Amino acid sequence: MRNESGLEGLWKRRSSAFRKEIAPYIRYMGQSGFPSFLSLLLIVSAVGYIGLLRGLPDDFPVVPAGVAALTPALCWSPLRTWLAPADIVYLMPREARMGAYLRMSARYSAAVSAVPAVIVLLLYLPIYAQRPGYATAWTLLLVSAAIKAANGWAAWRERQMAWGTFRTASRAVRWLLTAFVLAAWLVLPVWQAAVSLVLCAALTFFLYGLFPRQRLPWERLIREETSARRNYYRFFSMFIDVPSFPPVIRRRPYLSWLLRRIRLARSNTYVYLFGATLIRTEVSGILIRIALLGAYVVYWSGDSAAWNGWGAAAAYGLFAAVYGVQAGSLRQAHRHSVWKHVYPLPEQELTEQLLRVDRAAMAAGLIALALPLAAALLPHDHYAPLAATIALAAVYAAAVRPRRLRRRLLAEERED
Amino acid sequence: METVLEVSQLTGGYSPRKPVLHDIGFRVGAGEMVGLIGLNGAGKSTTIKHILGLMTPHAGEVKVAGTTLDERPELYRGAYAYVPESPVLFDELTVEEHLRLSGMAYNVKENDFREQSERLLEQFQMVPKRKALAGHLSKGMRQKVMIMSALLANPRLYIIDEPFLGLDPIGIRSLLDRLVEVKRQGAAILMSSHILSTVEAYCDRYIVMHQGRIAAQGNLSEVLRAAGSDGDGDSLEDAFYKLVSGGGS
Repeated sequence: MRNESGLEGLWKRRSSAFRKEIAPYIRYMGQSGFPSFLSLLLIVSAVGYIGLLRGLPDDFPVVPAGVAALTPALCWSPLRTWLAPADIVYLMPREARMGAYLRMSARYSAAVSAVPAVIVLLLYLPIYAQRPGYATAWTLLLVSAAIKAANGWAAWRERQMAWGTFRTASRAVRWLLTAFVLAAWLVLPVWQAAVSLVLCAALTFFLYGLFPRQRLPWERLIREETSARRNYYRFFSMFIDVPSFPPVIRRRPYLSWLLRRIRLARSNTYVYLFGATLIRTEVSGILIRIALLGAYVVYWSGDSAAWNGWGAAAAYGLFAAVYGVQAGSLRQAHRHSVWKHVYPLPEQELTEQLLRVDRAAMAAGLIALALPLAAALLPHDHYAPLAATIALAAVYAAAVRPRRLRRRLLAEERED
Repeated sequence: METVLEVSQLTGGYSPRKPVLHDIGFRVGAGEMVGLIGLNGAGKSTTIKHILGLMTPHAGEVKVAGTTLDERPELYRGAYAYVPESPVLFDELTVEEHLRLSGMAYNVKENDFREQSERLLEQFQMVPKRKALAGHLSKGMRQKVMIMSALLANPRLYIIDEPFLGLDPIGIRSLLDRLVEVKRQGAAILMSSHILSTVEAYCDRYIVMHQGRIAAQGNLSEVLRAAGSDGDGDSLEDAFYKLVSGGGS
């Protein structure tokens, strides 16, 4: 019993240590312009949302929008455990008594992940109420809570699975089943939706029991914890220098072929290195997600002809700016690498070659955002916002950004 | 014999008030392999960092290929390849991509690169791992990638810090074979290691460091003499023990 409370105490100390650890970074963030930017974004979104509620278009896809918004909110099931690599040595011998520790993690993480789910649900229900299905708002609320809890349980079982392929496949099945059940509750009569819910839950329970699993997946939990901390620090790195974490590497064969196109030449050394970093670290993953989301929003706002097409141009500008900020994080990748000093290349070369990679990444993103803009604005004959946006984007990518980035790199080099 | 590395009266460390190295001086010639030995904390890695130009000397100078880093940085950096004690790889690159990156940095021609990289991959038994990302390699394999990258650069000077840590027997053998080969071709090698029997068998001269100073240097008989050894059949290890435990002359 004393050991149980000892581990619970450890959990509390670790949780409090993390809060203290990030408190200064939160202060730095507060001092930056970010809260103002966030407030502005909130006001603009609120105005758009209220406008949508007041005049919901007849063809608004209520069910697909509900499924698209609620599925990730209900499926997302993180688990903060505060575990560290050294726990394999020091805490693993006490595995049998880890139950209370992990229950605290589960409660904490469930509360954290419930926040976005509740927000999305509260935003969606007024839309649903205008074109309701068979289920009442209260029923949806209860069902969502049940789905969220089931997802939490299933996500824990996925963590326990011994083989990565089963884990990935199970996660995909969980998301698909959640989307299916949500669609059923939004469309079908209550009894049919209830049957589909029970069937899907039974199927999940049966499937998840088939695969071999570990009692306590130490390494997985440690990796997940490291990844959660990395995400926090990646966010804070937009405002201040933060401790660096080893990046998450993905092979990404659909982009890696680009590396083979880089000619073997000294003048390409850092292009090759930064190219690999761009492609295989989380930088490209984030850029792709921003570009996809941006393309969708730009097209949607262009097609609705908001402000005679200037609304789409503004959305383009917003996503291009966010994309640019993320692409800029590449410059931190090898800032303290020993090879920078060992390779027989002038330091100036690093700056110029990094600028080449940045220019290519920016061009790809700006073009990816420009295509849906053109596709949405041309049929409405909104040429002026299209031409102005493309011209501004070209000037920014070709002249303004390289100059700013070069200045920043030189300043950082002097700091180092 | 042409001098490739020359360290003269080098005093240095992390703080000007507290030098770690005191008046270090030695040279490594073309076609010569020199062993740098000493206890943990003797100053071997700090010496190497000064040679690499990662640390600035408080006094004295380091010349590689006849120039200091300040005089001609590109020539200086291009004249050596470095294998660190702990492999420092880019997790986002595969084994063969590391070789390609080294090929680019050291300006290896495409044809030479292809031929050399294939040979190295085979010699170090890394063909099946050529497409593996660095993060998925064992420590020994990571060390092999470091060594292959250095050998691919084909520089005038090799600076090798504890190369045998984590290497399997084939890796050690392949490395030593290649070092003998590049030495015959005229390369200079400065190798730091705790495996004294290997250092004795392969190196032409030895530098024994102790508490930031050179306790002895020269060929085996010169080091034995400095250690006050008078018995026949004494090894480098015997001399080393006497020098660092205060038993030398």
